Order: sequence, then structure tokens, then C-alpha cells
Amino acid sequence: MDFHMFETRVLPVKNKLFRFATRLLGSQEEAKDVVQEALIKVWKGREQLNDVQNLEAWCMRIVKNLSLDRLRSSQRRPADGLDSHADIRQESLTPHETTELQESMKQIEQLMNALPDKQRQVMHLRDIEGYSYQEICEILEIDMSQVKVSLFRARQAVRDQLIKMNAYGL
Amino acid sequence: MDSKHVEALLEKYWNGDTSLEEEAQLRAFFAQGDVPASLQSAASLFRYFQQEQQKKLAPSFDARVTKSIRQRQGGKIIRMVNLVNVARIAAGVLVIVAAGYLIRQEVSKMYPEDTYSDPKVAFEETKKALMMISKSFGKAQQEAGKIKMFNEAEEKIQSPKADNTEQKASI
Repeated sequence: MDFHMFETRVLPVKNKLFRFATRLLGSQEEAKDVVQEALIKVWKGREQLNDVQNLEAWCMRIVKNLSLDRLRSSQRRPADGLDSHADIRQESLTPHETTELQESMKQIEQLMNALPDKQRQVMHLRDIEGYSYQEICEILEIDMSQVKVSLFRARQAVRDQLIKMNAYGL
Repeated sequence: MDSKHVEALLEKYWNGDTSLEEEAQLRAFFAQGDVPASLQSAASLFRYFQQEQQKKLAPSFDARVTKSIRQRQGGKIIRMVNLVNVARIAAGVLVIVAAGYLIRQEVSKMYPEDTYSDPKVAFEETKKALMMISKSFGKAQQEAGKIKMFNEAEEKIQSPKADNTEQKASI
């Protein structure tokens, strides 16, 4: 792989890598470092990349491993919703509606981050990044049945929590 | 898409049975904004997914990565510089070792080495050497004895001469 290929095939995946690392680590700053580290790792190992079938899944897997290493070395769980959310500004909404929307986004974020690790990872890869089950298997290095069970449990848990939130008038 | 169809799809979604295409349909439905009240909680979830997809790295990130990759490519030069330094140190050590070896050799020349390991042989050799010296010494003494005889003879010759001159003077 030459530098041009790196720029056209690896660098464009950076935002997916960044979002996944943020989900795993709970910190955008750390996620940025991990993505940089992962990209440099891909570049250093470019000679072996010919054997890799799905380059994107390969990069995602590197990010996952680096993030988990970090969590392990600092012995912590990802911080729950530490980072600020993307600014939601829609012209059609009043300031009150915007605040309400931000509040509900924050609650869903907390709800998703409270899921067990595997469920959270699978849900992120499927519902935010739109990966197929097969790709999720490759990224997380688990088998298909584990992916399906985790996704089912994650969605059920989120659904239950959403019903509860609605019941309390949120 | 009518809300009945959406509800059916949502049911499939919660059970983890939707395909990627069906999930895309749901996303598209909730993105258009006009959502019935009964589906509001699901709508907020899909809105959250959409919002998360917007999170991006700053544009300066690419430059940061490409810079560190280029530095890595230049790493070879840095490694060459390190090699030159190592060679310098190695040359210095070599000079010191060589100098030390030569000095040691010079010093060892000043002290003669033992030629015999067996004390008996050494004793015999020493005896031989001493005998040679004493023989030569004895020879030299004999020669020196001849010189003594000469001296005595000369004295004898000189003393009658002296008597003769005294006699002549008296005459």
C-alpha cells in the first residue's frame, strides 16, 4: 500500500473509527489519540494488508483493541456520557424545544452507555454505523449468534427504558 | 410510508429481525420529522442515531496523521545518525583497547620471563652458568699473575740501575 492508497482508502474511515473509539472510551480526546495511533499502526503494517479482505473492519478492530487496552491499563469503565453532545440547532425549533430535544438526546445517550459492553458495542456498530452482522463479527471477533443475541438484548433494554421514560412523562 | 407499516417494522426492529434495508427505511421515516405521537419515543432514539452519525473529527486531524507518518518515513535518517554515533563510540573503545594492549606488551618486556619450569633443570643451568663464570674468573687470575711477575721483574731491573747511577756520581 502506498501513501495515495492510504489517503483514499484508510483515512476516509477516520470518523467511523473516531465514533467507535468515543463509544468505547467515553472521551473524545482519548478517542482522537486512539484513532491516530490506529492509523499509524495500519500504515506501519501496510505490507501485510494484502491479506486483509475488509480493510474498514480491520481498522475498526484495531481501534477496538487499542481502546480496550487503554481501558484495561487504567482499569476503568468508559465514562458515562462525559462528552458534550453535538449541537442540535434546528431553525424550526424554539429554544424551549431545542432544550427539550437536547435533554432527550442526553437521556438516550446515558441509556445506551449503561448497556453491558458487548451490547453497547454491537448496537453502536449496527444502528449508528450500519454494519452487517458479518462485519460486526469481524470487528468484535465474536460469532454470529453472539452478535444477534447482544443486539436483541440491547434493543429490548432500550425499548423498556424508553417506555419507562414515557410513563414518567419525559 | 403509513404508520401501520412503520409499527410493524419497529416491532421487527425491537426483536432484532430487521435487515439493513428495513433499518434504513425506518431511519428515513423518522428523519422526515412528521411522526405520529405514538411513535415519538422511537423517533427520539432514531434521532439520536442520526445525531451520532454527524460526529466528526476536526479537519486538522488529517494533517496531524500524515505529518506523523512522514516523520516515521524520515525515521530511517534518524536511525542512520544513531548508527554514526554508535560507530564513533565503537572507534573510541577500539583505540583505548589497542593502546592498553600495546602498553601491556611493553611493560611485560621489561621483566624477563622464566625460562625453566622445572626447578632441577633451572638449578643445573644456574650451576653451569656459575661454573663458566668461575672458570673464566680463574683464567683471568692466572693471566693477572703473569702481569704481577712482569711488574716484579721490572722493579728488579730498575733498582740495580739506580744503584749504578749513584755509584757513578760518587766517582
